[in-house]
Amino acid sequence: MDGIELCYASAGTLSRLVQSKEISPVDIIDAHLARIEATEPMLNSFITLLPEEARAAARRAEQEIQSGNYRGPLHGIPVALKDLFNTGGVRTTSGSRVFDNFIPDRDCTVASKLHQAGAILLGKLNMHQFAYGPTGENPDYGHMHNPWDLELISGGSSGGSGSAAAAGQCTITTGSDTGGSIRIPAALCGIVGLKPTYGLVSRSGLTPLSWSLDHPGPMVRTVEDAALTMNVIAGHDPNDPASARVEVPDYTTALTGDVRGLRIGVVREYFEAPLDPEVEQSVREAIAVLESLGAVVTDVSFPMFNDSQAISGAILMTEAAAYHRDLLATDGDKLYPPVRLRLEAGLFVSAADYLRAQQARSVFDRQARGLLEQVDLLAGPTEPITAPKLLEERVQAGERGIGTTAALTQYTRPYNLTGFPAISVPCGFSEAGLPIALQLAGRPYDELTVLRAAHAYEQATEWSGRRPPI
Amino acid sequence: MAQEFSLSREAFLHLAAEAGLDVSSPHMDELFPYVEAQLAGLRSLHDIDVTGAEPDMAFQPAPEGRDGK
Repeated sequence: MDGIELCYASAGTLSRLVQSKEISPVDIIDAHLARIEATEPMLNSFITLLPEEARAAARRAEQEIQSGNYRGPLHGIPVALKDLFNTGGVRTTSGSRVFDNFIPDRDCTVASKLHQAGAILLGKLNMHQFAYGPTGENPDYGHMHNPWDLELISGGSSGGSGSAAAAGQCTITTGSDTGGSIRIPAALCGIVGLKPTYGLVSRSGLTPLSWSLDHPGPMVRTVEDAALTMNVIAGHDPNDPASARVEVPDYTTALTGDVRGLRIGVVREYFEAPLDPEVEQSVREAIAVLESLGAVVTDVSFPMFNDSQAISGAILMTEAAAYHRDLLATDGDKLYPPVRLRLEAGLFVSAADYLRAQQARSVFDRQARGLLEQVDLLAGPTEPITAPKLLEERVQAGERGIGTTAALTQYTRPYNLTGFPAISVPCGFSEAGLPIALQLAGRPYDELTVLRAAHAYEQATEWSGRRPPI
Repeated sequence: MAQEFSLSREAFLHLAAEAGLDVSSPHMDELFPYVEAQLAGLRSLHDIDVTGAEPDMAFQPAPEGRDGK
């Protein structure tokens, strides 16, 4: 397997080769560092690279494996973390020069678990400043670029994670998702992004954006890799007050390819919202593929979908402003102006309106849970459009013009409000050659069903095997 | 229907000062219309029937303490 093949191999494939000692972690890391060197000037996926540390870790992993101490499927596999996941001894900027010299003294829980599993940290990934934006803009460390077309956004806020995984710079990346920040870049970059159930993956040691909406999760190229990563990072953490006390299954048991009898609800309102016709066609075809595999597809109605922006917006603005209030007073003028404006605006939301939004969230959640009494999964587009141009403030979705942020978060925010697990999986390409994605959401803690359907779809189609032209 | 929303510049500056922002900064000229637009966008919250709904943020004391010990 040559260098580029190593870079595009899944963690599942690499782990089998590593375990059987057919390939060394040293070769895997060297191939990825070469890929990064070749592509990073165009993509800007990373804020901090750790080449020497990664090579040293690869040599240790090689020795451990040669000695018979194989730790599991992520041993020797390259991983990179969004730069709001604290890493002990490695700076963590949250995408802002204000924190250019912040070096945490310990790993966040996710980083610690990945380290214990033997994954090798290649670096820290670029992101929309403080994760407050879906476009992957960051003048402090350079805007992120989409590997399918460098003039387009990679999406955000976990934009570096999306571009790094899509371009073969890294096998496993992580993101955090408050209004779509895992699923948006996953969709726009043509990879798999899983927002797990709220509380299933620890937030401890991550810079918050909105305490009640933040979800960490994997961003990878295959559904199997999402399952393998979840096997490592999911689970109760006493250091996260919202961490769920639930049993964590082996997520790879979901990878059966069998969706016979699975009930999939197609949300009518998703197709009445602004939506590019090419995206609609691909998503409807994807749902038809699942039906052809034996799933039972029905239309469902989710009227409160149209309220999700206002509810989510009020909660996000207020919680983000509360967290960053002191920073705004001391360093507001050092922030990216659009992020500064968003943060400051949250200071003006009244407590009564914040609580009204939380009341509305309860009603919203009740309606969404009602849908999942009728069906096992909810299906629709992840994004109403393909990747727009950098710094474009408005986009065209079908016949309707709409603000870029509103468009990009249109289908993702509902599942931050409910905390349901939701996955974005590639489901086609536009005529311009840009990725389109299907979103599947399930019941709380039922990642197995979400992964099962996504994997069956992935295996029945060829979209995930495509590589960007970079 | 959502109530008509209006925020006077005087009220805005008062709230900004209370929030610790520098109200003498020219930045306020940019922030004021932005805040007006954002708050207007939230007025539709009042169209949602929340009768009988509690805020989705119930606090549940851990029976054995936060760390489970």
